[in-house]
Amino acid sequence: MPEMIRVEGLQKTFRVMERRPGLRGAVLNLFAPRHRMVQAVNAVSFSLQAGELVGYLGPNGAGKSTTIKVLTGLLVPTAGEVQVNGVVPWKVRERYVRQIGAVFGYRSTLWWDLPVIDSLELLQPMYDIPPARFRSNLAEFSRLLDLEPFINTPVRSLSLGQRMRADICAALLHEPHLLFLDEPTIGLDVVAKEHIRQFVSHVNRQRGVTVLLTTHDLSDVERLCERVMILDLGRLLYDGSLAGLNDAFESFWSLKVDFAEDYADVNLPGLPAPRREGRQAVYAFDHRELSSAELIRRLLERFAIADLEVRRPPLEETIRRIYQEKLLVDGERGQAV
Amino acid sequence: MRRTLGLYLRLISIQLRSQMQFRFSFWLDVLTTGLLNVSYFFSTYLVLQRFGNIAGWTIPEVAFLYGMIEVAFGTMDMVFSGFDPDFFSVFIRQGTLDQVLLRPMSVAAQIFGSSFVLRRIGRIGQGAAVLIYALVTLDIHWTPAKVVYLPVVLLSQVLAMGALFMVGSTLVFWTVQRVEAINVVTYGGVEVMSYPATIFPTWLRGFFTYIFPFIFLNYYPALYFLDRPDPLGFPVWAPFFALPAALLMLLAAWRFWTFGLSKYQSTGT
Amino acid sequence: MVTFWRIIKLSFLQQLTYRTAMLAGLVTNFFWGLFRAAVVMALLSSQGSVNGLDLPGALTFIVVGQAMLAFMNIFGSYELMTSVYTGSIAADLVRPVPLFFLWMGKDLGRSVVNLLGRGVLLVAVYAFFFPIQTPKSGLGWLAALGSLLLGWLLCFAWRFLVNLAAFWTPDARGVGRAAFIASQLLSGFILPLRMYPDWFVQFSQYTPFPGMFNTSMEVYLGLLNGEALLSALAQQAAWLAVLVLACYAVLRLGLRKLVIQGG
Repeated sequence: MPEMIRVEGLQKTFRVMERRPGLRGAVLNLFAPRHRMVQAVNAVSFSLQAGELVGYLGPNGAGKSTTIKVLTGLLVPTAGEVQVNGVVPWKVRERYVRQIGAVFGYRSTLWWDLPVIDSLELLQPMYDIPPARFRSNLAEFSRLLDLEPFINTPVRSLSLGQRMRADICAALLHEPHLLFLDEPTIGLDVVAKEHIRQFVSHVNRQRGVTVLLTTHDLSDVERLCERVMILDLGRLLYDGSLAGLNDAFESFWSLKVDFAEDYADVNLPGLPAPRREGRQAVYAFDHRELSSAELIRRLLERFAIADLEVRRPPLEETIRRIYQEKLLVDGERGQAV
Repeated sequence: MRRTLGLYLRLISIQLRSQMQFRFSFWLDVLTTGLLNVSYFFSTYLVLQRFGNIAGWTIPEVAFLYGMIEVAFGTMDMVFSGFDPDFFSVFIRQGTLDQVLLRPMSVAAQIFGSSFVLRRIGRIGQGAAVLIYALVTLDIHWTPAKVVYLPVVLLSQVLAMGALFMVGSTLVFWTVQRVEAINVVTYGGVEVMSYPATIFPTWLRGFFTYIFPFIFLNYYPALYFLDRPDPLGFPVWAPFFALPAALLMLLAAWRFWTFGLSKYQSTGT
Repeated sequence: MVTFWRIIKLSFLQQLTYRTAMLAGLVTNFFWGLFRAAVVMALLSSQGSVNGLDLPGALTFIVVGQAMLAFMNIFGSYELMTSVYTGSIAADLVRPVPLFFLWMGKDLGRSVVNLLGRGVLLVAVYAFFFPIQTPKSGLGWLAALGSLLLGWLLCFAWRFLVNLAAFWTPDARGVGRAAFIASQLLSGFILPLRMYPDWFVQFSQYTPFPGMFNTSMEVYLGLLNGEALLSALAQQAAWLAVLVLACYAVLRLGLRKLVIQGG
């Protein structure tokens, strides 16, 4: 598969003015401004193959938007190399943006006062889309995204979910190779989210569009992405499969057992005592040392069992711990880069 | 170029369509802004009834100065409304510029197309009325050269004032908030240009000759149209410096704009 | 009364936070004053004086006028209108202070900041460029300040009245603009009324507008003395009474309309 995005040693430093409080501070700010350098993104390297659908995660202020802004050509980095589909985004802006689509969840890229259809039709001459292609694409996306009911409504009167669907359609009409989705499901209800996920999955599989998705909603990632990249404090901390992430950070899984009979002692040698409630017990075990199959075999040898359930900790929990406890920042790194 | 122009016209037509939606309030707006602007001339007109002239210029001659610059500024304010610093600072703050940068079309052309305040015809209309009054009342000795040169002067004024809007907007890249001081040379420039230049103290006149060449945009062309002698002793071609001066201003503004835009792309906001 | 005082204080403090805007306004104001002063100088330098107004007097009139611009809020404001349109006026109506005084408090706090931060500073800077006149006696100062206060109140009442148009039309901004054109021109803010033709001055006397600005400046410059001074102040006070009554009457009609139509 050809390489779609290559980022090497990306660095972006911002100069931020420090504001001093009070009247004296205001005067000082005016005549002797004090600056502080902030590293938004530091030594980030990764590459995306054509056709991949990758989740880009990180807490607020991690540097996600800065990376997206650089990749979409809006921002020039301080240092590092970026090549997307063979070109440097900010150097050939007008030519480059024809090849990409971008959707920002918190801001529409459509013309606010125009009916959706007018906004979309404006894109045809702007991107020089052949009229026939334009019509067939519009028909297809309109069907898949169910745009018909509100296609004549001005963008400003749309619901958030409708607006997002219209925006995604707009980002794809010119058949970009690459789609950037920045928080595409923010503020949407479950049904609307699912609708958008289905569509994203569809264009990724059917049309081979490479997708880079930033989101706070981990169900987006679980549903769509096999590969995730985690960024925090401007550094890329993890780049690998979603399953691998859980394996690396949540070594303790749990096994819930419903016994068929009442047992006084259900402890297993080498394992901490389970939490018990009536005929039920929950064992916590390190799945790297003891596989669930082995644990179940040992239980079945000793007890009559009615039901079993292995639980991996939810991804949400893992990610929360990664952010909060800065698991990746120092100490154990798993597959981190 | 043709493609850009076509797209620009499409963007403008969208603007116009949405502005005409509430017709009554639109025309009320046109009328009252026109009246508001002309009230300043009306004031001068009344005062000159008592005084007869200002620095030797009669009411119709002052009306000529006023009409020219008002028509030009009103037109500029309409065509360059995307570059109006008041508008552009909002544009930056709301992040709309990022959206513009994502589109395969010249950034400047998109900003031109992002706003077209049609109700400025109120200002243009009142300026035109005063200008027509001046042209009818004054006994101008028309020559073919003068007939050709009049629209050239108006165009020069539009471009020069537009350049100032562009500079004002570019400043926003650094300040985010609009820089009100630019009003001194935009709206203030109009005020200065609607009177004979000799009424201003020498230092102020120098400022509006060598730093902002307003004197060549309206006063000197007016001397030529009205066949008035030049009291300041500039070369005889001074009345024809309007277009070169405007083009110089526009070029400088364009350079500054490109510089500001590249700064925006390297620092964000 | 305590509430009224508190409103003034609150808006005073709020306005203080807009320091940069104030500084920027100062620069624009300053140049505008210079432009106007040049016009006045060109007109009066040949004639000496007009209707008793001489060049130094006229220059003082212009630059002090510029300094008072933000204090008097000569260009008008459309805030009350907006609150009618957005419906936030409902919240104001349930407060223990009458609407008229509530808005007066808001405006007054802001105006005082503009007077101190913008007006005084501007006069000080202009003093380097022009010979600025001041009242010649303590009594003169007193009369000028009294007249200025009456002028401010007239300006406020006019703004309030004009904004009430919002109860009847969704296009009250246009109405406001037209109204503020009249007040700017006839109040002598653009140029001193004494410089206009006599018929125009006479016409203006039948309106409340000269009292908003021109009268205060003439009192300040000592152009009115004795009986003329008293009569000028009385006229200001009389017009104020008329405008306030009009505000109350129109507000009552507007509120009735609001209640009937449910806003």
